[in-house]
Amino acid sequence: MRESKPKPYWSPYLAGLGLGLVLLLSYVILGEGLGASGAFARLEYTVLHAIFPKHVESSPYMSEYFAGVASPLADSMIFTVIGVFVGGFISGLAAGRFKKAVDKGPRISQGGRFAFAFIGGTLMGAGARIARGCTSGQALSGGATLALGSWAFMFAVFGGGYAAAYFIRRQWL
Amino acid sequence: MSFPLGPNGAFSANIGLLLAFFIGVGFGFFLEKAGFSSARKLTAQFYFRDFAVLKVMFTAIVVAGLGFWLLVGLGALDLSLTYINPTFLLPQIIGGLILGIGFVIGGY
Repeated sequence: MRESKPKPYWSPYLAGLGLGLVLLLSYVILGEGLGASGAFARLEYTVLHAIFPKHVESSPYMSEYFAGVASPLADSMIFTVIGVFVGGFISGLAAGRFKKAVDKGPRISQGGRFAFAFIGGTLMGAGARIARGCTSGQALSGGATLALGSWAFMFAVFGGGYAAAYFIRRQWL
Repeated sequence: MSFPLGPNGAFSANIGLLLAFFIGVGFGFFLEKAGFSSARKLTAQFYFRDFAVLKVMFTAIVVAGLGFWLLVGLGALDLSLTYINPTFLLPQIIGGLILGIGFVIGGY
């Protein structure tokens, strides 16, 4: 890769307009909003089912993903998430932002950042399953369709984030 | 036109998966253009330094929401065939709090 200055990000309003139109398109075409965390849940349950089929089938929650379908992976959300990787890659490459890097503040080690990423990811995964969705499936999609619980979710996310931010400021600032 | 296309039988399930892929490409493209591939940029909102996340999110919600409810109002989009997140207030608040804490710890 040539060493050159990456292009700046788009105006948040322009990027938001694009994102909003994609979300609208998803409703108009598929009849559902955008989702991300569900794809990872489906992948996990599929792997878990291959190893411990009885355990998954006896769980009222996880067995739902296997009811009446060939595979939990034959779902729009799985394909959307694969598309997200491709779209993000195209955009990053075109803007000269494609590089290997660990994104962190200057006061934390790389190992520390990875440890926090793992802990944070675990919490996000658990939170998304409890709430039945993540920032995409609840906040964005439910926000646009004016789903009451999704708005409650959105404020809870920001509440939790702002409340915890102080304690891990060394990671980012 | 009768929206949503998929649930109205406009295309097969497999075509639906392909279309979902392209919707994902658009989703990822605009997320990256917004700077959401950077954990530092995403978490900067929690330190009152960069509100791009809020601006992008609420612009997207307003744009999609206006289009969505306009189409519903015109009778072009059938709500009964559209997935609207059901409300489970307590789990959504608890899950949201946990996800928010995880967000600032993990960065995404």
